[in-house]
Amino acid sequence: MLPVSIADMASARGSSRRVPDNESSIAYVQMDGLAVMKMIKHSHEESTGNMEVAQGALLGLVVENCLEITNCFPFPKHNDESMDEEEYQLAMMRRLRRVNVDHFHVGWYQSADVGNFLSLPLLESQYHYQTSIEESVVVIYDTQKSARGFLTVKAYRLTPQAIQMYKDNEFTPEALRNLKIGYESLFLEVPIVIKNSHLTNIMLSELADMIPEEEGTKFLDLGTASVLEGQLRCLMDRVDELNQEAIKFNRYQQQVIRQQQDKHRFLQKRSQENAARQAKDEPPLPEEDLNKLFRPIPVPQRLNPMIVSGQINTYSQHISQFCSQSLAKLYITQALQNAKEGKSAP
Amino acid sequence: MSSSRFFATGSDSESETSSEEEQVQRQPATTFTFSDEEEETKRVVRSAKEKRYEDLTNIMKQIRNFKKIKDMSSMLTSFEDLMRAYTKALPVINKEEKGQTPRFYLRCLIEMEDFINDVWEDREGRKNMSKNNSKSLSSLRQKLRKYNKEFELDIAKFRENPDQAEDEEDEEKEGEGDSEPDDAKPSSFRKAGSESSATDSKIMKKPPEDEEGSEDSTDWGTDSESDTDSSDDETQYASVRERFLKRNTEKEEEEKKEKKEKNKERKEKERKQRKEEEEDGEGGWERVKGGIIPLEKPKMFAKDAEIDVNLVVKKLSEIIAARGKKRTDRREQIELLHELQSVAEAHHLGPAVAIKIKFAIVSAIFDYNPKVSDAMKPEFWAKLLDGISDTLDLLLSTPDIIIGEQILEENEVFDEPPYKVRGCVLTMVERLDEEFTKLLKECDPHSNEYVERLKDEKMVASIIDKVQEYLERQSLSAELCRIYLRKIEHLYYKFDPDVLKQKQGEIPSSAVTSVQVMEKLCKYIYAKDGTDRLRTRAILAHIYHHALHNNWFQARDLILMSHLQEAIQHSDPATQILYNRTMAHLGLCAFRHANIKDAHNCLVDLMMTGKVKELLAQGLLPQRQHERSKEQEKIEKQRQMPFHMHINLELLECVYLVSAMLIEIPYMAAHEFDARRRMISKTFYQQLRSSERQSLVGPPESMREHVVAASKAMRNGNWSACKNFIINEKMNAKVWDLFYEADKVREMLTHLIQEEALRTYLFTYSHVYDSISMPTLAQMFELEKPVVHSIISKMIINEELMASLDDPTQTVVMHRSEPSRLQSLALQLTDKVNNFVDSNERIFEMKQGNYFNRGGNQGGFRDRQNFIRQGQDWGRQRRDRGENRAF
Repeated sequence: MLPVSIADMASARGSSRRVPDNESSIAYVQMDGLAVMKMIKHSHEESTGNMEVAQGALLGLVVENCLEITNCFPFPKHNDESMDEEEYQLAMMRRLRRVNVDHFHVGWYQSADVGNFLSLPLLESQYHYQTSIEESVVVIYDTQKSARGFLTVKAYRLTPQAIQMYKDNEFTPEALRNLKIGYESLFLEVPIVIKNSHLTNIMLSELADMIPEEEGTKFLDLGTASVLEGQLRCLMDRVDELNQEAIKFNRYQQQVIRQQQDKHRFLQKRSQENAARQAKDEPPLPEEDLNKLFRPIPVPQRLNPMIVSGQINTYSQHISQFCSQSLAKLYITQALQNAKEGKSAP
Repeated sequence: MSSSRFFATGSDSESETSSEEEQVQRQPATTFTFSDEEEETKRVVRSAKEKRYEDLTNIMKQIRNFKKIKDMSSMLTSFEDLMRAYTKALPVINKEEKGQTPRFYLRCLIEMEDFINDVWEDREGRKNMSKNNSKSLSSLRQKLRKYNKEFELDIAKFRENPDQAEDEEDEEKEGEGDSEPDDAKPSSFRKAGSESSATDSKIMKKPPEDEEGSEDSTDWGTDSESDTDSSDDETQYASVRERFLKRNTEKEEEEKKEKKEKNKERKEKERKQRKEEEEDGEGGWERVKGGIIPLEKPKMFAKDAEIDVNLVVKKLSEIIAARGKKRTDRREQIELLHELQSVAEAHHLGPAVAIKIKFAIVSAIFDYNPKVSDAMKPEFWAKLLDGISDTLDLLLSTPDIIIGEQILEENEVFDEPPYKVRGCVLTMVERLDEEFTKLLKECDPHSNEYVERLKDEKMVASIIDKVQEYLERQSLSAELCRIYLRKIEHLYYKFDPDVLKQKQGEIPSSAVTSVQVMEKLCKYIYAKDGTDRLRTRAILAHIYHHALHNNWFQARDLILMSHLQEAIQHSDPATQILYNRTMAHLGLCAFRHANIKDAHNCLVDLMMTGKVKELLAQGLLPQRQHERSKEQEKIEKQRQMPFHMHINLELLECVYLVSAMLIEIPYMAAHEFDARRRMISKTFYQQLRSSERQSLVGPPESMREHVVAASKAMRNGNWSACKNFIINEKMNAKVWDLFYEADKVREMLTHLIQEEALRTYLFTYSHVYDSISMPTLAQMFELEKPVVHSIISKMIINEELMASLDDPTQTVVMHRSEPSRLQSLALQLTDKVNNFVDSNERIFEMKQGNYFNRGGNQGGFRDRQNFIRQGQDWGRQRRDRGENRAF
């Protein structure tokens, strides 16, 4: 499996090298093969062990508009109480510096299954990273997909709007609308380039030669049912969740409308009363604080629905990608089959 | 002579010291003598009106005490109390004494006046007094003078002849009877009984009447009038007692010198006595009454009064008039009535009077317990039972008597047949029945006491029978309906094994069983009842009874015909409870008849809420904080069923869960991927889920665990495991043995489990088969081949199973047309997305300000929230509606 992914890596490098310049300070992320391998190793260890999310720190340097990630180390598991996390990180970096490794903390990585990485904690920690270290990125490694032969490593940065939103700490619909932020504009994907040293490349080519030819034909494996089923189930859960949110919002709307009506009625009554009093030469009733009578109903927070929509979005993308690939494979197999039959028939 | 003695305290030139001493001794002695005599006698509490008198006498006693210790300030306050108490008592006094000031009160005033004059004159003593005391003395003197002016006339009268009674009493006391100044007094007052007391009272009355100046003397001379109120007598009596006090003191004075040592003894005794009195505040008073009780009876009627019907009736109404008043002693009332009854019997006044009195006794017993919610005491209950059955016996034996509520008091006829008496047997019996229920609820259902009480059920039932007999004689349909319903309510929950025996032909069909009785009673009510309530209750009881005796079809037809389900929410709680009980038994009956769906439907409403206990009124749920107020709880407690009428909840739940299992498991298997699958039984799902949540599932212990384990076995089509979970020793002991014919039920259940397991198996595993041979299936599930054949055919017809039967080979050939897992998932997803689109649309609509039809939307919307799957259809409909709306 690994050789395949490395080969993929190589191909990915070629395609995504030339990316259009973004306004952000970092145009692309260049990852060292070693860092990627370390990250992958850690993630798989975690996912096979107890299905937990693996997290770690990325070390590297900023070179002009490129963030070079040259090394990484995993975070300890949370359940270990005796160790102080920050201390551990600092000690780790200090030691790495001693062996002459880049010790500039430039971000963090996290493992994910298909598309479920988008979550509140992720947003929050990335916000903290990005506010303290301007250039930092979060790298998401998809264990499941990679295990099926598609290396999926993605680097994300929060958009300025998202940072602004977090800064305001306001997730009302108005605030979000003013920021023009949606699930699409929460994150900005930064292209990743994997760079290997020449020596590594040479070794890879040598290894590629050593792989027997038949081994490479696995790419026609369809494996549709189970993957698609799993993804569909996840998608359904998300849709349900989003539906709940929509219902919540709907209820809120109704409440607001009812309150508005009440308020209106109250005001009308008050004005009538005042008119009557004026006719009798009495002082008008004192103005009461309307907000006290009608407490504004708390607006439901929109952050969660946004995240859920983001998740749905990734799931859908994945599913459509998977389906198109599968369809292509099906056509290929059909063609191959036909060719084989044609060959054997005469 | 003694009268002069009395005044001597004030006017004579006895030395101050001695007089003081006297007073000190006087009081103890009086109390003593007076209480001494009652020690032997029985104590009975008397009319509550006496309370006022009691207050007065108590205060007077205090004043006397203060006199002794010359505590002027306390005396002043006591005097003020006395004045207040007197004004309070005035209405009573006016009534009782015909506007005259009671003599004992006057006496007290006079005494005080004398005493104060004494003290006042004793200048030296005054000087020695504390400042406070002397101040009080002067103010007391002034007040008293002022106050006494009001009674000047009375006091003057009193001073003129305070003696008569005293004299005579003196003699009695001393037992010497030396000088009898007055004429008509029978000397042996204490033993004498009737007339002496009557005459006594006459004497007491005398002075006031004198004042009135009319027919006093004649009155006095003759013996007492026959209709003196007992309470009246007592009042007099109280004053008589006062007399005793006085007289005794005087006697003391006389004998003082000789009997000083004796006095000391007495004082001690008296102190004890007083302590006792203080201990039981009212007890003291009761004792006084007790002293009178032997005199009481005769007072009811004058000694030689001619006791006839009118007299007795008059007396009766007098006694009854006191009923319900605050101060009336209820126990005393009952006793009085009993006395009256014996008097009436002694004089053979006829059945009408006897019945009238008995009615009064019964209602007095009912009244004895002031709280409606509490049960009466067992001894009264026994009395009540006897009383009522006596009355009824009498009623039944005298046919020429008419009893009715419509007869007015004036129209009652007691002397000659046909007698007419006001009263209602029916209400009485209904009340009795309610009391009986209360009584049962009161005691612990697991104690012997309960069993003992329950034995009275027979009595109650026989009383009801008697009333029924009586009413049948009169044939008033409305009342007959009521008594029939009473009878029905005692009958409907009782299981009569004869019914089943009759069905099996063991007993000839001519024998009358409870079902026939019910039938007769209920039909009468259906035909004659004017109120809906009775009919509803009768029909419910009828259904219950049928269901209890396995008459499933009759019960079902009745409930379907009655259309009760629609209207039952509007009836009163008691009827609703009966309805719930009926449904429970109907469910059980359906289960016994293997009508699983019906059983489930009957029970689902009861079980869904998780409040079966409350619904069947078999106990209150522990309440969460202030969910109900005290009153509410009381009301709910009143509604509870007595224990012997309870339905076994575990049985009920088990039957429900098993029926749910038999329906739900095949359904679940059939609709595994169906997005529109809905839960048939929420409770059952809860049980399943809670067991799934457990990380380790041990062998089943409780009934629920057994059912859950059985359901799991059934899911896999493992019928024998399922059967073993449902029918085993534990479950037999817990549940199945409670059925009348347990073996039949078990047999039925096994068969059902086999069938449903087969269905489940086919649903679950059909996709792995291309074809299944029916003989194999029959072998697997130990069913007959035709049975298997019919089950599979039914499934195919209902399009539950996509297959066809191949007859020659005896196999089922699968068609494989069900959607694959992925397809069904995709379908599910589309549904969900549809839902989501709906809610999104609604948000959008709201923004547009389109509020039409919102109510309709909300309904579907809430449903979906609780239970998304169920919402699918809704979503569709709603969206259609939404589209319509758009135009």
